[in-house]
Amino acid sequence: MRRWFPPVLVAALALLSVYPLVATGYGIRVMLQLFMWIALAQSWNLISGLTGYVSFGHVAFFGMGAYTAAILITRTGWPWPAACLAGGITAMAFALLVGWPCLRLKGPYFAIAMLGMNEVLRVAASYFEGLTGGGSGLSLPTMHTSVPIYYGMGLVAVLVTALTYLIITSRFGLRLMTIREDEVAAEAMGIDTLRYKLYAFGLSAVAPGIVGGLAARDQGYIEPISVFPLTTTITMIVMALFGGKGTIWGPVLGATLLFGVQEVVWAKFIYLHQLLFGAIIVAVVLLMPRGILGVLQQRYGLPRTI
Amino acid sequence: MTVTPTMLGQVIISGLLAGSLYALVALGLGLIFGVMRVLNVAHGPLLMLGAYTTFWLFRWFGLNPYLSLVLSMPLLFAVGAVLERALVRRVVDAPELSSLLLTFGVAIALVNLAQLAFTSDLRSVEYLTGSFLLGPFAFSKSRVIACAFAVGITAGAFAFLQRTRLGKAIRAVSQSRDVAQVCGIDVERIHLIAFGIASALAAAGGSLVAVMVAIQPDMGGIYTFKSFLVIVLGGVGNYPGALLGGLLLGLVEQLSSLFLTTQVNEAVAYVLLILALLIRPSGLLGGRAT
Repeated sequence: MRRWFPPVLVAALALLSVYPLVATGYGIRVMLQLFMWIALAQSWNLISGLTGYVSFGHVAFFGMGAYTAAILITRTGWPWPAACLAGGITAMAFALLVGWPCLRLKGPYFAIAMLGMNEVLRVAASYFEGLTGGGSGLSLPTMHTSVPIYYGMGLVAVLVTALTYLIITSRFGLRLMTIREDEVAAEAMGIDTLRYKLYAFGLSAVAPGIVGGLAARDQGYIEPISVFPLTTTITMIVMALFGGKGTIWGPVLGATLLFGVQEVVWAKFIYLHQLLFGAIIVAVVLLMPRGILGVLQQRYGLPRTI
Repeated sequence: MTVTPTMLGQVIISGLLAGSLYALVALGLGLIFGVMRVLNVAHGPLLMLGAYTTFWLFRWFGLNPYLSLVLSMPLLFAVGAVLERALVRRVVDAPELSSLLLTFGVAIALVNLAQLAFTSDLRSVEYLTGSFLLGPFAFSKSRVIACAFAVGITAGAFAFLQRTRLGKAIRAVSQSRDVAQVCGIDVERIHLIAFGIASALAAAGGSLVAVMVAIQPDMGGIYTFKSFLVIVLGGVGNYPGALLGGLLLGLVEQLSSLFLTTQVNEAVAYVLLILALLIRPSGLLGGRAT
């Protein structure tokens, strides 16, 4: 990595950590949403970018975390940070449970099975009314300020990016990328592919679970359609692809650029939102399969995984 | 709740009626998957375009919705052919991830375009209402006629695949692209035609359901999903298997509707898919290994 990069990174984090002192309520909400998208895109990248197993249902873990946290807060009076952590742990446990059978499926089969899992969860959330409030949702006690959520989201975004760095630069990451490039060869080399895919899948569910809980806490109200929407999965996929899948900084870059553009420009063209997302996916797949970061890496001769 | 034999007979027949439509639509998705190894996530949105074609022809010209098949199928054949030439062709040899994401992007864009062009209002073609009564059973007229058309079109597609030179070429490419190419088959042309036919089959499904359900831009997603389930049940590349899978899905959905609320019944197809993938990933009749 270039010599200027670590100081710039530290400075940026320092600025972001004092930002709430000077920011307006609106500014804080915008930034915490950005952190949320970074955490989500980065998590999707962990399983899909590294192993090539596309998850079309990653929002399921977000919803799972949101419901776990909301239920713990409203029904048992847990403090919200503990409830959000519990959301992350529940999401991971669920990912391991679902991944154990489903990660044996290849390519499109896995993608569609994940889509199905999300639908089943959404229906389950409406069905078990006693626990989840069903279609009428759950209301959480109101918060006076979003600042704690800002720090919570920011911390998750930093940690999941750090985790991605650790994984990509480790033998574990190498194994995952070997699975992506050629799973049969990986198995022939003695890699227990199912085990490593399962680890990656479990890890990729933690952050969505936690930010799901944080988002529920912040919004104060959840219902099945608000926490299991396909559009959230679409958005995280688009962000990770646009920035560069399978890299450390690609999802961060993609989330920042697209979220920024969305806030500034697309707010005026809300009806074109999905069309532009669709067009971005098509363009990235056809023209720059390694995303913006891939283009930069090629131009400036940077290592391929950063 | 007690289930009487009459009710059981009614749901079995309703299941078969619904299943014939699933089979028709799934045959298209299975054709693309078999021939090109591409899972076309935009299959459902193409069906949606077929449904809108029928709706507008009915609205503007009062055209009989069943006659509109003659227009919607060639129209969507052309749309499919353009999609294949412009986009999908470029990712046929790429990793599966690429084609999956590409058609996913196309699907999102098509739905949004439909929202812009047609708004998200629920539309319906009020053409054929009421039921045929036969002894203790009642069948919605539109479903019976849709089933008849679905059976006819599916049979036509099969006859085409089995009997004609072009159909044989399509099956050859589906079995082994390389061998087909060595035998002098223009594989790129076959891809184009297969994609076009598949889109036309989706359009036929769309035109037929237009009379039965509310038409709206995101009506298609569920059909992509159910078609995928059908080809998993039937076995990839096993075209007769798709028929069996379609009928089975229709039956299971109708039977479970006896015991479950409408809301929960939506999840039945998904549970069935996950079970099918885990227990018998090569399909009921056996198909190509996955």
